[in-house]
Amino acid sequence: MNAAMQMRQTNGARPTRAMSATLLALLLAVLAMPAGQALAASREQAMRIHDRLNGAPPTQAVLDAMQAKIGGGDAKGAALLAIDDANGNFYSVVLKNFVMPWTNTDQTAFAPLNDYVATVVGMVRDEVPFNTVLSADIIYVGKSGLGLPAYSNSANDHYVQMEAQSLNLRDVLVSAPQSATTGLPAAATAGVLTTRAAARAFFSAGTNRRMFRFTMINHMCTDLAQVMDTSRPTDRIRQDVSRSPGGDSRVFLNNCVGCHSGMDPMAQAFAFYDYIDTTTTDNGAIAYTPGTVVGKYFHNNTVFPQGYITPDDHWDNRWRAGQNALMGWDQSQPGSGNGAKSLGAEFGASAQFAQCQVQKVFTNVCLRAPSNAADRNQVSTMVGHFTQGYSLKNVFAETAAYCMGN
Amino acid sequence: MKAFGSIDTLLPRTSAVLAQLRLAALAVVAGALVAGCGAGSVQTAANPVTPPSSSTQSYTGPAPASGDVQAFVVNFWNNVKTTDKCGACHIQGNQSPMFARSDDVNLAYQAAQTVVDLTNPAGSKIVAKVASGHHCWLASTQACSDTMTTWIQNWAGVTMGASKAAVQLVAPTLMDAGGSRTFPTNSSLFASTVYPLLTQYCSRCHSPSAVTAQSPYFAQSDVDAAYAAAQPKMNLDAPALSRFYVRLHDEFHNCWGGDCAAASAQMLAAIQAFANQVPITQVDPNLVLSKALTLYDGVVDNGGSRVETGLIAKFEFKTGTGTVAYDTSGVEPALNLDMSGDVTWVGGWGVQVQNKGKLQGTTTGSAKLHDMILTTGEYSVEAWVAPANVTQTQAYIVSYSGGTTQRNFTLGQTQYNYDAFVRSTNTDANGMPPLSTPNAKQVLQASLQHVVMTYDPINGRQIYVNGALVASGDPQKGGSLSQWDNTFALVLGNEVSSDRPFSGLIKMVALYNKAMSASDVQSNFNAGVGERYYLLFNVDKFTGLNQSYVMFVVSQYDSYSYLFDQPVFLSLDPTVNYSGLVIKGMRIGVNGAEAAVGQAYAPLNTTVTGQGFDPTKSAVSAVALSKVGTTIALQKGPSYDQFFLTFEQIGTATHVHTDPTPIAPIPTDSPLPSDIGVRTFERINTTLSTMTTVPKTNAAVSALYTKLQQSLPAVTDFQAFVASHQTAIAQLSIQYCDALVRDPTLAPAYFPGLNFGAAPAAAYDTNGRNALITPLINQMLTANTAAGKFLATQPSAASVTTEVNALIDKLAASVSADTTGTATIAKAACAAVAGSAAMLVQ
Repeated sequence: MNAAMQMRQTNGARPTRAMSATLLALLLAVLAMPAGQALAASREQAMRIHDRLNGAPPTQAVLDAMQAKIGGGDAKGAALLAIDDANGNFYSVVLKNFVMPWTNTDQTAFAPLNDYVATVVGMVRDEVPFNTVLSADIIYVGKSGLGLPAYSNSANDHYVQMEAQSLNLRDVLVSAPQSATTGLPAAATAGVLTTRAAARAFFSAGTNRRMFRFTMINHMCTDLAQVMDTSRPTDRIRQDVSRSPGGDSRVFLNNCVGCHSGMDPMAQAFAFYDYIDTTTTDNGAIAYTPGTVVGKYFHNNTVFPQGYITPDDHWDNRWRAGQNALMGWDQSQPGSGNGAKSLGAEFGASAQFAQCQVQKVFTNVCLRAPSNAADRNQVSTMVGHFTQGYSLKNVFAETAAYCMGN
Repeated sequence: MKAFGSIDTLLPRTSAVLAQLRLAALAVVAGALVAGCGAGSVQTAANPVTPPSSSTQSYTGPAPASGDVQAFVVNFWNNVKTTDKCGACHIQGNQSPMFARSDDVNLAYQAAQTVVDLTNPAGSKIVAKVASGHHCWLASTQACSDTMTTWIQNWAGVTMGASKAAVQLVAPTLMDAGGSRTFPTNSSLFASTVYPLLTQYCSRCHSPSAVTAQSPYFAQSDVDAAYAAAQPKMNLDAPALSRFYVRLHDEFHNCWGGDCAAASAQMLAAIQAFANQVPITQVDPNLVLSKALTLYDGVVDNGGSRVETGLIAKFEFKTGTGTVAYDTSGVEPALNLDMSGDVTWVGGWGVQVQNKGKLQGTTTGSAKLHDMILTTGEYSVEAWVAPANVTQTQAYIVSYSGGTTQRNFTLGQTQYNYDAFVRSTNTDANGMPPLSTPNAKQVLQASLQHVVMTYDPINGRQIYVNGALVASGDPQKGGSLSQWDNTFALVLGNEVSSDRPFSGLIKMVALYNKAMSASDVQSNFNAGVGERYYLLFNVDKFTGLNQSYVMFVVSQYDSYSYLFDQPVFLSLDPTVNYSGLVIKGMRIGVNGAEAAVGQAYAPLNTTVTGQGFDPTKSAVSAVALSKVGTTIALQKGPSYDQFFLTFEQIGTATHVHTDPTPIAPIPTDSPLPSDIGVRTFERINTTLSTMTTVPKTNAAVSALYTKLQQSLPAVTDFQAFVASHQTAIAQLSIQYCDALVRDPTLAPAYFPGLNFGAAPAAAYDTNGRNALITPLINQMLTANTAAGKFLATQPSAASVTTEVNALIDKLAASVSADTTGTATIAKAACAAVAGSAAMLVQ
């Protein structure tokens, strides 16, 4: 029986009703303030920074220290205090919920902690260059001695327990080579793309195009509808794509081709990956078959027999030309390669990737997308800083300082 | 790239077609006569089906002198000798050649040799005569020529075995690519004609600043960028083919004013106005381009690769006009189908059936199915179909039935499945229960598919889709067809009662009184459907070689596109040798400009080596350029669309292809939203934990949070904050405060001066109230009352004190007068502050 029910049983409805009136009064007291009201003091700015970066109120000591930093003209320093607050909420709550929607197809934050999230949290904490998030041989696990189940390729219990015990992610995560942890060959690791959580969400069943699409959404901030370019060559579009859906090839020529001509040559990088789950207990694991293209690449191969037959995991970035050249692909990268690792590096090195990470942080911390020239200039400045060492923690701090009010 | 001796070794997938290009012993100067052995060309030697009532019984002349004459009689003479066909004139003592004479079939056979070409049935003189309308006994000359071709093919199939059907590659007439209207560099014409409509009616989506941004951004505020995005959607040579117009006129896509006719007319007028101001420009002279061809300039692939043993009815939908779909099986009586309702012809052979349309034969005409199938006890239904969707159910594609409750057989669709209903001694009169393709396989797709349903007394029903057996093991097994009814009618796209409509494309239907074997099905799937042409694009000018070509197999894929497939490089001059010829960046041009979409060969970069004619292998030496095919949009139709090829390099001729420089959209400002918002679910939980000092792992709290978390706000936007969120927050706040007040350690530490052991009246005197309210202000408003530090962004301490005091007053009057009441008031005060905006807003 919860407390509310107890009170109702003991005292009838009146206390709750009276309390509601109080809640309403206090709510109105705050909402009566005009949005974006100028804040008179650095203490309020410190409070907002802490709220945004930590999720919970600070202690007086922390608030005092942050106020002092702001007073000294170091708002970013104040933000770093909030980030590194001993309560670890930046990592355990704010960052976790920031990342969680990237790890499932529903894009929901209501999901259990997993290796994808833990790896991003750890990389941010340790300021591992974030442009390697899609390519590095890295994973974060709980340190030993916590009584956690060991990391498993076929279960998420290690992280579920970490969350159930409300462990402080600032303190308990340690870095490890992904290859040594999961057994994938080092050359087959691709940062978070080859974590169990990503494989479970994006490599299971389907055609592996899902991994490509969600990587675009989560790390390039663009869904396929925004990158459609029908001018690209069609030679790499697989056999399973109908060139005449429902007997009308206009649908293909005006829509399907816009995404598939760029997507299929890049999603070929995942040709050796699969996620196999034959259990009813969610105990599937990533499968990597070097040299053998997984069967899903040949599903429905009679839909258009003249289509492309995937022979290997060679990918080409056809979007380096055409309108998607605007994504700012790094010309020092080859623009093609074999496997997920080099594709992840291609993404990570692009201007769009950096822009996307900063934009996501901006929206998360400022509670709005960049809206005007000042915001865009700030984003541009932060992108410049970000690309110097790819510290996402620094982006959080700079953004919080920008949005702390005035 | 290695050159191979014969084409069929190059392309395993396409060998069925290209194998037909083997050179026959005859080589001609203008081209090469190539005999199509036809992989998959007739592979079995069984006799074709003969009409049920053989008229040979009335023949009293000399017996056939040879097996070939016998084949002539059975397959050809019996069909043409009737007076409604050739038997009225081409008989003894009448019109020569007397191939229909009834006095002596051996003489008729000799006469027939003058009008029939068994190596190329479709090229026979007699086929050309009926195709020209010479005593065509049907309303469609196409149907007459197809039927005549079938009779000759059947004859040839017996006489020549697997070796028949020839394709003669002929050097096409050289023709330069014509001009067209090309888009001006400057966007000003666009800005004054089409652009205003786009910005007015399309910018809510097709602009990067739109809430639901949808590429292409042809309605964006930057007119130059919009112009670049809009070009693929406009056709200046044929404005009515512009995507902008078609989208409104035919697809009713967001028509403004609720009137698609008016909106599309407005758009068409704007594009026309734009086009009128653009002069026709000739093809860019700097391009390295081949000679030009239309589809019909190509060499017809006469498609000799199908297995049609036991064919009893066949519908190819070649006519293209009228309301009759002819049975071109050559098996009399022809079972022609009348089209009714919404049935339309589509390009490249086929009919589109929708809105309860159907094609139906007469019951008497359909009776031949009954008669012929009962003689064998087995049958097959073959169809090339493109279902319009995967949602329709009880959609009958091919049915031989008498209504919704009785049938001999039906092939239908239920969502992702094909269903086969057959009447036998093991099923009921309605063909129930059906055999369906497995749900899990989802083999039925809304794309062109080859589906075959076979039935034999042993296996019962089997269903093949795209050459693969996907449904077998018929639980009903096979049975006798003795219960079949000969009063039913064959109907396509519906039930005879018009209440089982199928929506989609039907490109071919064939019926057999044999159960096709898996290899027969595979052969027919490989053979494809529709008319195909070998298009030879001359590139002599750049290769310096005589009669050098890039050849494609091209077909009209559907009403809106062509399929270009199997590109090879070859020379028709046997003496030509080529080595190290570079071919790079090949693009397909249509009507003076490179096609905007579908340039599958743009990445091509290969070197070819070979020779025109390899005497050691007696074959055209062609080098495959790619293994993939591509679809190119139809513009003016197959009679008018003129194709050519361009190259970035062929031989030593080069042209640098440059993609247009993309223009970045100019960002636009959006209204500045609130820069504060609400905490989201886990932040609320964490904040309540911090404010109350109760750990999140507290059992009661944790259990309630797990239950409630998805009822808490998921986003920070105030606009998304609803009453249910506040209810959940209140519940969680009360739980935290309950845990706090109940905890014997936390409570005294949190409220150090509050006497929980006293009754409310004593506990909440002035000091007691301060002991309750001050910690709440410090903890929940992040204030430091001792140091006088308050946050201006939080409710003022005074207002909170006033509200909480009022709450205590109200509660004191109703709670029990003992210590329980004291605790209750503390919980309520705690929860009132914790669940307020002081906690919620960040």
